[in-house]
Amino acid sequence: MVPVSQETGQGASTIHEVLERVRRVMHIAEGFLPPAHAIAWGVASAPFVVHGVRSLTREVREHPESTLLLGASGAFTFVLSALKLPSVTGSCSHPTGTGLGAILFRPPIMAVLGTITLLFQALLLAHGGLTTLGANVFSMAIVGPWAGYGVYRVLRRGQAPLMVAVFFAAFVADLSTYCVTSVQLALAFPDPGSGFLGALGKFGSIFAVTQIPLAVSEGLLTVLVMRLLVKSSRGELTRLGVLLSKGTKQEAMAP
Amino acid sequence: MLPIDAAAHGSRWRRRHPLDKAVLGLGLTVLAISLPPWPGAALVLAAALTVLLGPAGVPGRRLWRAYRVPLGFCVTGALPLLVQVGGPDGFLAAAPDGPVRAGELLLRTSAASLGVLLFAFTTPMSDLLPRLVRAGVPAPVVDVALVTYRMSFLLLDSVRRVREAQAARLGHTTRAATWRSLGGLGATAFVRAFDRAARLQTGLAGRGYDGTLRVLVPPARVSVPFTAASLALLAALTALALTLEGPLS
Repeated sequence: MVPVSQETGQGASTIHEVLERVRRVMHIAEGFLPPAHAIAWGVASAPFVVHGVRSLTREVREHPESTLLLGASGAFTFVLSALKLPSVTGSCSHPTGTGLGAILFRPPIMAVLGTITLLFQALLLAHGGLTTLGANVFSMAIVGPWAGYGVYRVLRRGQAPLMVAVFFAAFVADLSTYCVTSVQLALAFPDPGSGFLGALGKFGSIFAVTQIPLAVSEGLLTVLVMRLLVKSSRGELTRLGVLLSKGTKQEAMAP
Repeated sequence: MLPIDAAAHGSRWRRRHPLDKAVLGLGLTVLAISLPPWPGAALVLAAALTVLLGPAGVPGRRLWRAYRVPLGFCVTGALPLLVQVGGPDGFLAAAPDGPVRAGELLLRTSAASLGVLLFAFTTPMSDLLPRLVRAGVPAPVVDVALVTYRMSFLLLDSVRRVREAQAARLGHTTRAATWRSLGGLGATAFVRAFDRAARLQTGLAGRGYDGTLRVLVPPARVSVPFTAASLALLAALTALALTLEGPLS
C-alpha cells in the first residue's frame, strides 16, 4: 500500500505494532491478479527460485552450519522491512531491504529468503497473498535484488567508494521493485482508453510521487547501516564477501 | 507470537491435518479468483465468512484486524480503475465501466483473502512448515524457513527493546537523531541475528547436530469426511455461481 503514516517516531510497544508497519510495504494483495496473470508470474519466478534453492541446498550440504546463518539472514530480512523509514518528503514508510539483502547474501539466496519472507507475510500478516506470491516474488525477491546487485557490482568494478555503491544499489533495488509492480498492475488492468501504457502511467504516477523520495530514504538508511556494520561486523562482512580479507587484492565474488 | 499465529494455536481446528484446511481455505481462494466475481466471488465471500465465524470459531474482532489490511490495499488499488487516460472525454475522465470493474475487483480480492485467512487462522506455521518436506520442498529450505520463523520473533523483540531504549535517550527527537537511531537499529538487528545464529550453532553442536533440524510435529491424520465435505461445498458453490450467473448478471 502507498505509505502515508505520519507517526512521531516513538518506539512501538508490542511486536504487533512493529509488524503493523511491515504491512505498509507494497505487495499485491490476495486475489488482485486474474488467474492467468497469477500463474504467468509464478512461472516467470520459478526458474530464479529453483536456481536459488539449488544454491542454498548446495551451500547447506557443504556447510551444515549455514542453515542457521541463512535462517538468521532470513529473519534479518524480515525484520529490516519492519523498520520505519522517514521519507525526505516528511511521510514515512518501510524499506524493502532488497538492496542490502542482495549485497550481503547475493541475489540467488535472496530469491529464496525473499520467497520465505513473502510466504510468512501472506500467512502471518495477511499481507500479499498466495495467488499473488509469484508476482510479488518476481518484483521483490528477483528484480529488486538483481537490479540492486547489478548496480553495486558495476559501481564497485568502476572503483566507486563502497558507500556510493551501497546507496545506489539500495535506491535502484527499491525503485525497480515498484516499477515492476506498476507493470504487473498495468498488464492486469489496462486502461479502457489508452491500454497498457495509460494504465502504466496511472499506477506509475501514483507510486512515483511516494517511491522516488522513499528510494532515496532507503539508500540513505542502507548507507548508515552499512557504515555501522563495517565498524562492528567486519568479520561477518568479510565472510559474506562484501569486504576484502587482509592481503586479498580482488574483492570476493559470489560463485 | 503474531496475532494470526497465536489464534491458530488456539483454534478449534488446530488438531486437524493442514491438508484438510488447505483443501477448504485455499479451495475457496481458487474459486474466488476463478469464478465470475458476481455472483461467484460474493457466494465464496459469504461461505468463507460463515465458516470462519461459525465452525472454525475465529473471533470476529481478530478477523477484522487481519482482514482490514488486504481490504485497505484493495480499495487503494481499485481507485485507478475509476478513471481512464486519453479518449474523447479528455486526458483524464471517468471510466465508463470503472465502478463495475472496481466493484468486481473488490469482491474477488476480499473473497480470496478470506479463504487464505481461513487457512492461516486455523493452521499454526509450526504445524505447516515441517510437513512441506513431504510436499516436495527440499529439506534444507524447510530448515532455513523454520529457523527464520523462530528467530524472527526474537529479533523483532530485540528491535522493539532497542527502539524503546533509543526513544528513552531522546534518539527520535530530531530528524538527524532519528536517522542515526534507525541506522543503529538496522545494524544491531544484523549483529544480533548473526550472534544468535553462532550461539545456536554452538549449542546444537554440543547436542550432536548433523545438519538436520528435527522437530516434533503434533500427529494428525487427513480426515476423509472433512475433506469430502469441503469438496462438496466447493462443488456446490461452483454450481450455484454458474447457475445464477445468467439470471443475476
